[in-house]
Amino acid sequence: MAGVSVAAEWQLLYNRYYRKPELYQMEWKQVDLTRNKIACAPFAGPIAAIRDDAKIVHLYAESALRKLRIFTSSGRLTAEAVWRNPGGRLVGMSWTDDLTLACITQDGTVYSYSVHAKLLGTFSLGRECFDNSVVDCLFWGNGVVCITEAFEMLAVPDFKAPRAVKLADCGLEELPHCMAVIEPQYAKSGGVEVLLGIGDHVLLVDEGGIQTLAAGIGPLQKMVLSRKGEFVASFTHDGRLLVMSSDFSKEFIDYTCESALPPDQLAWCGSDAVLLYWEDILLMVGPHDEPVRYIYDEPIILIPECDGVRILSNTTMEFLHRVPDSTVSIFGIGSISPPALLYDALEHFDRRSAKAAENLKLICSSLPEAVESCIDAAGYEFDISLQRTLLRAASYGQAFSSHFRRDSVRELCQMLRVLNAVRDVNIGIPLSLQQYKLLTPSVLINRLINAHKHLLALRLSEYLGLSQEVVIMHWTCTKISASAMIPDATLLQSLLDKLKICKGISYAAVAAHADKSGRRKLASMLVEHEPRSSKQIPLLLSIGEEHSALVKATESGDTDLVYLVMFHIWKKTRPLARDLFIKYARCYKHEFLKDFFLSTGQLQEVAYLLWKESWELAKEPRAKGSSFGPRIKLIEKASNLFAESREHMFESKAAEEHAKLLRIQRELEITTKQAIFLDSSVSDTIRTCIVLGNHRAANKVRAEFKVSDKRWYWLKCFALATIQDWDALEKFSREKRPPIGYRPFVEACVDAGEKAEALKYIPKLSDPSERAEAYAKIGMAKEAADAASQSKDSELLARLRESFSQNARGSSIFDTLRDRLSFQALS
Amino acid sequence: MSQIPNLENAPINLTEIRTRAQTELLNILRDIKGDKCLVIDPKLSGALSLLVQSSELKENGAELRHLTAEPIQTERTKVVFLVRAQPDLMRFICSTIHNDTSKGLHREYYLYFVPRRLVSCENVLAEEKVRELLNIGEFSLYMLPLDEDVLSFELDLTEKECLVEGDETAFWNIAKAIHNLEFSCGVIPNVRAKGKGAARVADILTRMQTEEPVNTSNMGIPLPEINTLVLLDREVDMITPMLTQLTYEGLIDEFLGVKNGAVELDASIMGNQQEGKKAKVPLNSSDKLFRETRDLNFEVVVQVLRQKATSMKQDYTEISTTTQTVSELKDFVKKLNSLPEMTRHINLAQHLTTFTSKSIFAERLDMEQTLVEAQSYDICFDYIEELLCKQEPLEKVLRLLILFSITNSGLPKKHFDYLRRELLISYGPEHINTLDSLEKAGLLRKQDSRGNWLTIKRALQLLVEDTDTTNPNDISYVFSGYAPLSIRLVQHAIRSGWRSLEEILKLLPGPQLETKRGGFSSIPSYDTLPGSLNSSEKLANGRRDLVLVVFVGGVTFAEISALRFLSSQEGMAYDLIIGITKVVNGRTLIETFISDWDK
Repeated sequence: MAGVSVAAEWQLLYNRYYRKPELYQMEWKQVDLTRNKIACAPFAGPIAAIRDDAKIVHLYAESALRKLRIFTSSGRLTAEAVWRNPGGRLVGMSWTDDLTLACITQDGTVYSYSVHAKLLGTFSLGRECFDNSVVDCLFWGNGVVCITEAFEMLAVPDFKAPRAVKLADCGLEELPHCMAVIEPQYAKSGGVEVLLGIGDHVLLVDEGGIQTLAAGIGPLQKMVLSRKGEFVASFTHDGRLLVMSSDFSKEFIDYTCESALPPDQLAWCGSDAVLLYWEDILLMVGPHDEPVRYIYDEPIILIPECDGVRILSNTTMEFLHRVPDSTVSIFGIGSISPPALLYDALEHFDRRSAKAAENLKLICSSLPEAVESCIDAAGYEFDISLQRTLLRAASYGQAFSSHFRRDSVRELCQMLRVLNAVRDVNIGIPLSLQQYKLLTPSVLINRLINAHKHLLALRLSEYLGLSQEVVIMHWTCTKISASAMIPDATLLQSLLDKLKICKGISYAAVAAHADKSGRRKLASMLVEHEPRSSKQIPLLLSIGEEHSALVKATESGDTDLVYLVMFHIWKKTRPLARDLFIKYARCYKHEFLKDFFLSTGQLQEVAYLLWKESWELAKEPRAKGSSFGPRIKLIEKASNLFAESREHMFESKAAEEHAKLLRIQRELEITTKQAIFLDSSVSDTIRTCIVLGNHRAANKVRAEFKVSDKRWYWLKCFALATIQDWDALEKFSREKRPPIGYRPFVEACVDAGEKAEALKYIPKLSDPSERAEAYAKIGMAKEAADAASQSKDSELLARLRESFSQNARGSSIFDTLRDRLSFQALS
Repeated sequence: MSQIPNLENAPINLTEIRTRAQTELLNILRDIKGDKCLVIDPKLSGALSLLVQSSELKENGAELRHLTAEPIQTERTKVVFLVRAQPDLMRFICSTIHNDTSKGLHREYYLYFVPRRLVSCENVLAEEKVRELLNIGEFSLYMLPLDEDVLSFELDLTEKECLVEGDETAFWNIAKAIHNLEFSCGVIPNVRAKGKGAARVADILTRMQTEEPVNTSNMGIPLPEINTLVLLDREVDMITPMLTQLTYEGLIDEFLGVKNGAVELDASIMGNQQEGKKAKVPLNSSDKLFRETRDLNFEVVVQVLRQKATSMKQDYTEISTTTQTVSELKDFVKKLNSLPEMTRHINLAQHLTTFTSKSIFAERLDMEQTLVEAQSYDICFDYIEELLCKQEPLEKVLRLLILFSITNSGLPKKHFDYLRRELLISYGPEHINTLDSLEKAGLLRKQDSRGNWLTIKRALQLLVEDTDTTNPNDISYVFSGYAPLSIRLVQHAIRSGWRSLEEILKLLPGPQLETKRGGFSSIPSYDTLPGSLNSSEKLANGRRDLVLVVFVGGVTFAEISALRFLSSQEGMAYDLIIGITKVVNGRTLIETFISDWDK
């Protein structure tokens, strides 16, 4: 059976199987792990190597120049750089979570390198390290703890905020035997906590203080924490491996090794086994029973992962992990569990053997579980053909099982396709399924981009339905930075070809990058393609394309953007113009506007401004008397300006008349000693005169402005009615036959409610229908009806009858409504 | 009764829009911990009252003040300004802050712009050196449901701003509001616009869609909820707002002025004993009786109210004279619950009749009719001349004068100058500015072409004889015989698009535009809809297509009523939602044009 060969490679530890499939034959040549300092990033990240300066240089065999080299997990060299940094010996290096390589030298300088071996920046751990060299350091995810010659401890809690904090002084007199860090995210205190093996006990050190743990446990030679910091594995001076809770209160494993010599490396494999490595031998200790022994004839490095340990040697990369239960149930020797039978059934089916059906019959009740196990097992496989067989077994079983979540095969296939793509030796990211889930697809894509594997990243994003924008954006910026020699037009074309893949991508951001890279022309060509005006315009301004910015802002219809451009232009150029603009904005005075209109030849607008100014002068309380002269002058100036064009003759004359009116009103104020005339209308002036009894003045104003008879009669009638001078009104009616009839007289009296006075004039109305309505207004229904019938206007008659009846009824209706509502009190 | 309207019957989820705005506002307040003084732009307080109860603001530790030129006096150490983005308001804020600093007071200042921050405003703050003292944010209130079928863009946009000063800010805001709506309702596939501002809004909207596409596939909205957007610029129809509205709600606005869905009048009118006090009466569809009567011609409202009162009286007599079963009693009590509503509207209606029963009112309606008929030039001229001589209130005269000018395509040069001079003589020379604004807006101008009003009127059947106001069959009932031009256009736009109307549209101001958007080519545009099979199917599944009608510039209540009437017609395959910048009537519209020299 095929299953046997799979299980043959497993080792049993207590009740679990472990296996260590080979991921890669390393592509590198002549890399000796013992002669180099090596930093391997978790989650199948890159490997950094640099010659260990503590070792003697083999002249002739290797270059005297030290080189920092970066490899993929498959051992392919991706970048190298000569190490010339001062600062003494390299004490340690490690990859941070976002894949920058942090290197610490003796003087406490931290050099950050990208995956392309480019120096990104440096920072110092501080004076203490400079004075007393760093002797040892210990990295974790995103931070580091250092210890100096003076036994001071410093920590960088997070490389993203490069700042060193001093940990509490624990009065050491010698270097600790061993050191372990509880990461801030798992520490009780929320800060960095360091475990130190000192003498026969352990110290817990953090920023605030020191705590002694595990007194009398005996000197610990090596110590390592499990991934989440809940357990600690340690190697004692007398050759025992202890696994305890990280506060040393509980002991889980106490295993005596054959050698009291501390191992070179101590590491957790998942969370239930511990690996100890001495030269030639790798020991895996589980909770019970005999440990597993692996023999290595070349040096190895243990790289802990969340679900196992990768083992790097000079020639291979292996992945040691526990065999998942589903795989055991299928491939376990002699297994007759449903998944194994299903797998077997597929083999029979392939061989066209009828046993396939028998197998299926045997497991029909647990078919869904069997299918699930096959899918699950496929996920753990690195071997593509085995993945395929397992998935085929699953879908074979699925065909006979009705209740099954059909998506799960598709989802797993999707993940496996992604994993197989990145596991390819050319890419060299041998992620396991769990690691991938923990890392998340978007981080994986970011890592690919970071490694400049843009095409794969793009394909994967497309395949996974993630936004391609990140990829394209990074590619474009990288392309611009890398294409200093390519002419703008050519480069633009190749950029646009890719940018158009992604709808809604920010061309402005690309253009900003081009501008930063010193390619302003390219930037302005790119920003043309930005559809969002709110992003396009600020950039156009920053690259000095004010004119085009103004055009675009106007087109966008967003007035805020227009203002943005205008303010920018004003700020940037002509300080005088700017000042004027500010003045305009501040005081809203006309000066600026006036200049503007003058310069554009809109004389009438200037005239309006002058006129308005004259009007405002009158409103200034302190200048009441003295402002008169200037006001007239302004209005006359306005009049002249209007007169410049034929279309504004009316306005010109109106201004002239205004000036005339002002003069007359001023005269009236002086003669009457009453300040009630200025700034009223012609009509109001006349009325005021009449009300004051100054008929001569009224007549004079009337003549000056050639007031029509119509206006004159209406005005005078109402003015006299206001002062209730009924005699004068009657006299006025007798002066001569009123040219517009007696209606003004009637209305003036009716409005004032003087029925008797009105009756003097109503009979004089010539039009019977007018007469009818007038009678109606003062409520004389009979007379109204008479007049109406005289007019022989049936429509009018009907309307009057309607209005009378409606009025009476209308009001009575509402009275009754109210009465009916009075029972509201009941409720 | 609350002023916040009930939105449950809205054809799209308006509650969500309002809730979003409410949450945003309350989050702003909650994020600023502790007690604070909330200083509100007075122009916003109406909008806020449609959004949250002031008690709710107080619960969040806010003490309320209005922003005025006077520095704010408060004990609180945190001051939150909530203002429209207007440079002149920035001065007020500066003066408060300067006043505090001069007294050595240190407070935390927060400034929230509605709906968004503007460079021009921030510049003022920077010049006054208070920019750094302020924490600036935005309260992106672009749109607010006014009622279950009315959305307001909360813009204090005046016709003057658009027509005379050429400020386009409002157009962008309207487009933004519609675009925001599209994010929850999908891209509106058919857009029809008429008039300069409307076309500009359509234009900006298209641009926004390319800049920030509403992604239909990802949001999981298979089909747009709104089928058609009709954008209509007020400039296209300045006739309608000049006429006196005759619907119930329209009349209330004409005589009493409706503000943010409520009318304020003397408490005595509402049958309240406290003399001199003001009573605020909310007017929205949460009031069932108002919902029933608001869109009716006022004549009919009086009848309806009378009927209801009579039937109630009958019930009452029955109850007191004959023995009733318990369930009958229950019904009666139920009816009694509507009593407060009845009383309220009877009071209001009675108050309105004091205006409508005057002969001057009938005379005015007559004249409006004559002007719109445009057959008797001399009668109109004499009437307006007489009004000028009698110095009737300016906005009343202007309403007729504008009607006169538009229906005649401008006035002959001689009369144009004559009436303008008469106007200056009556109301004072400063009104040269009023005349200038009106002329620039095209509302009062010199005749330069042959009149086309008669053609428009005939083609669109604007004057309808024998209108039955009780059982109307046409929108003309809202003006007792005149069908509002604007709504006729909407009617055509919905029914068949602009194509059939092209010749007439050319006679009206501004460009027209008809576009399809968002790759919905597969969706039929229902170009020829009414009576087609499609419409009955739609009705069968209980949901009708939606049309969003947006008025760029103000709209009158009568027009809203006419649209509601259209929507309620049986053969109609659409529900209508109305988007407005603000509600206007002839008076409020004209007031913005009247000379601002005094201010």
